[in-house]
Amino acid sequence: MHTAPTSASDYHKKLDEALHDDFLRRTLDTFAVSYRESRAAVFKEVDERGLIKKIADAKDYACQHMDELYEQFKGEAEKRGVKVHLAKDAADARRIIAQIGHENNVRRIVKSKSMTAEEIELNPELERQGFIVDETDLGEWIIQLRHEGPSHMVMPAIHLSRYQVADVFEKETGEKQDREDIQRLVKVARVQLRRKFIAADMGISGANFAVAECGAMATVTNEGNARMVTTLPRVHVAICGLDKLIPTLDQALTTLLVLPRNATAQRLTSYVSWICGAGECASATGGEKVMHIVFLDNGRTTIAKDPLFKQIFRCVRCGACANVCPVFRLVGGHKMGYIYIGAIGLILTYFFHGKDKAKILCQNCVGCESCANVCAGGIDLPMLIREIRSRLTEEEGNAPGALMSAAMKNRKIFHSLLKFASFAQKPFTGGTQFQRHLPAMFLGKHGFKALPAIADKSFRDRWPNLKPQVTNPVMRIAIFAGCAQDFVYPEQLEAFVSILKAKNVAVEFPMEQTCCGLPLEMMGQRASAKDVAKQNINAFFGGNYDAIVTLCASCASHLKYTYPHLLENDPEMAGRVRDFADRVMDFSSFVHDKLKMTKDDFTNDGEKITYHASCHLCRKLNVRDAPRDLIRDAGDYVPCDEEEVCCGFGGTYSAKFPEISAKLLEKKLDNVAKTGASRLVVDCPGCVMQLKGGAEKRHMHVKVQHISELLAEHLKK
Amino acid sequence: MPETNQELIENFKAKAALVNATVVEKSSLAEALAYIVDVCDTKQAAQLLSDENVEKGPNGPLGCPTRATKILAAPDLDGDSFTKLESLCEGKNISCIRENLRKHLAGIDVGVSYAELGVAASATCMAKTDREDVRLAGMISEIHVILLDKTKLYPDLPSIAPQLRAHMSDGQRSYTTFITGPSRTADIERVGAIGVHGPLELHIILLEG
Repeated sequence: MHTAPTSASDYHKKLDEALHDDFLRRTLDTFAVSYRESRAAVFKEVDERGLIKKIADAKDYACQHMDELYEQFKGEAEKRGVKVHLAKDAADARRIIAQIGHENNVRRIVKSKSMTAEEIELNPELERQGFIVDETDLGEWIIQLRHEGPSHMVMPAIHLSRYQVADVFEKETGEKQDREDIQRLVKVARVQLRRKFIAADMGISGANFAVAECGAMATVTNEGNARMVTTLPRVHVAICGLDKLIPTLDQALTTLLVLPRNATAQRLTSYVSWICGAGECASATGGEKVMHIVFLDNGRTTIAKDPLFKQIFRCVRCGACANVCPVFRLVGGHKMGYIYIGAIGLILTYFFHGKDKAKILCQNCVGCESCANVCAGGIDLPMLIREIRSRLTEEEGNAPGALMSAAMKNRKIFHSLLKFASFAQKPFTGGTQFQRHLPAMFLGKHGFKALPAIADKSFRDRWPNLKPQVTNPVMRIAIFAGCAQDFVYPEQLEAFVSILKAKNVAVEFPMEQTCCGLPLEMMGQRASAKDVAKQNINAFFGGNYDAIVTLCASCASHLKYTYPHLLENDPEMAGRVRDFADRVMDFSSFVHDKLKMTKDDFTNDGEKITYHASCHLCRKLNVRDAPRDLIRDAGDYVPCDEEEVCCGFGGTYSAKFPEISAKLLEKKLDNVAKTGASRLVVDCPGCVMQLKGGAEKRHMHVKVQHISELLAEHLKK
Repeated sequence: MPETNQELIENFKAKAALVNATVVEKSSLAEALAYIVDVCDTKQAAQLLSDENVEKGPNGPLGCPTRATKILAAPDLDGDSFTKLESLCEGKNISCIRENLRKHLAGIDVGVSYAELGVAASATCMAKTDREDVRLAGMISEIHVILLDKTKLYPDLPSIAPQLRAHMSDGQRSYTTFITGPSRTADIERVGAIGVHGPLELHIILLEG
């Protein structure tokens, strides 16, 4: 029922299938856009960031006190007639639940939705033991009839069309269905499942919360099936992970302000049912429900002790990380997780289902930070995915990554390689900025964009002639170049230097700097990533610069936010890394906020200019207004649809998943074309590489530039 | 600044509209009962989604037989009010019941129950549904009518923690339900649909305190 890719080629084949599923693409596209808007609307009424922080703190506390909360819950629930079990792993949980069924002479079971039941693959085992199991959540019922797993944690059948649903229902009911009318198809479930609710001996539900103070559990649902499942049958078994334990009702009520808003953009779901103890049940002997709660460990108590990964227990299973993921939007949930779906799914697969299931899947994150930005518990999902890659590298090795890693650790070797490339590519560039004449056989799936050429002369080689002589400077800064600008687009930095000169800013370019290390981190090469981090910090050490400015949003976020994390256990670097990270600034913030440049500094000929907001700039550095203000200062800014959605570059991602990268680029350029702008500016050379290459390939009449080039061109003389 | 009761009422009504709940204001229980009987009287007879040994009418829109006599269940009305309800139903082919809802799991027409309080920010009603009959009234009815005292409105979920806790403290057993609109799904193509396993309609009667 559930499958995980076994090899990279197997996975690419599956991705191709998904990319050619037009229905899936259309549905997920519509959903992505409408979700973004409706989510924003329902969050206007609450303090989103404040609530996320509260949930994170409460869940962190609960994670640290899991054992005590379990004991407290058990005591309170037992007082109220509930039997509480602790299952150490999936097999144990399946055994306990089946045994409850046998002890109570159960034959028919109805289930409401539970990701934990999916995690332990409960249904096949119950069926093997002779129970009749019916899912009753509409989506779960549909996929049960199709013998497949959920493709989304909240909307399990989002990958299916009404026609596919109608097919399944026709087979199940033996009656013709109205294939167009979704409202009627929904009613098929109402009619077909009522008998099953009535006939069932046992109901199995999940739980969104297990409240220790009173031994109550709660389900958060829309269809009303969970109320049937927990009310009608004489036996009720709830299965939930130990991470669902919280101390008091207050935390549950706070979480309810975010969970439905994040999951389905609802203020609250139709039903929240609080079940506190074994209550009245007319179908049970003695009129009292037989109630069991099975808590699942399955590695949770171990992860709770992991200083980094314990944060995964902040997850409230809202599915928002999938809802905003540009890769999910293209390929759907079956390609984006094993049982748990989306960014959190890539992580949970590793912990709950093992590295064999996770090793291919966890590569498929473009690192755009969209999920981190909406997570109900504020989990740093992209960072944890990179961390898993690095653990997999430690456990299993990674030959191409190790080679790259060996080269990049040594700046001189790395830079010589890049310079050699500039020479070796000559036959292919025809003197342009693109590698025009690369034989097509080398490109394959990578042929969706024109590949950039390495510059004849790197920025570092140009620097001695470029360095401006400034007397009485207003401030002193240093440039962090990053590989793309140093070796591919030195003109972007030259443009910056001319702005600095005009504003009388002294500037240094420390020569010992090297690659920021983000590509290494993305490939799971943690040790080398730390090495280059140290090299860079030491290269700038002692400079006391007013700012260390980088024109690459990805470098900026890596230097500023990942370095402190990478080196947190390195006592020698602790002080230096903080000082370094504090000084790092992105280009637009520096020019707009620190140099305070305004429209008075620029000429403006009213050219229509549009913008692509680089992932790391808008979400990681949270810089949104500065670049747009600057564009307005030097031209006529025309906003682009889905301006903040990833262009598909993602550094090494575009090489690893060219088919997905190409689709993301296609969407982005379609939106750019719609603006009618003659120029597209970006705050990151990586995005420039992707967008410029794509525009060249499509012969679009749009100039793609770094925003520094636009501003330098419009500097008032 | 805390919202006044009138502001809470307005907000509750606005949010209820967004979740397809019908809100009406009535100045007395008598008026509310008349409204309920009218709702039951004018609706199509409930469709029987399962077997029940009862007189049946023609098939309904889902192809299931309908009830020849409608059922209006009001398990938590007090004796006097229930008698009033019965008398309002006289001559209308409606049978009023207060208990044994399990006999009618195939589906009833209207279920009536009280909410203990309302939450304005999401148009949520909190109902004490420990008694199975009360719970079923809001589960197996085609139309669920909730009676809510309009002076018992609270701004948001965190503000009702004490009332919720009061159902669960000191070893109490309880089943409490937050209800926000009729049952719904978007599981097929993300298209919203009302009325899955629970009520097809939710009416909330705001009563004068």
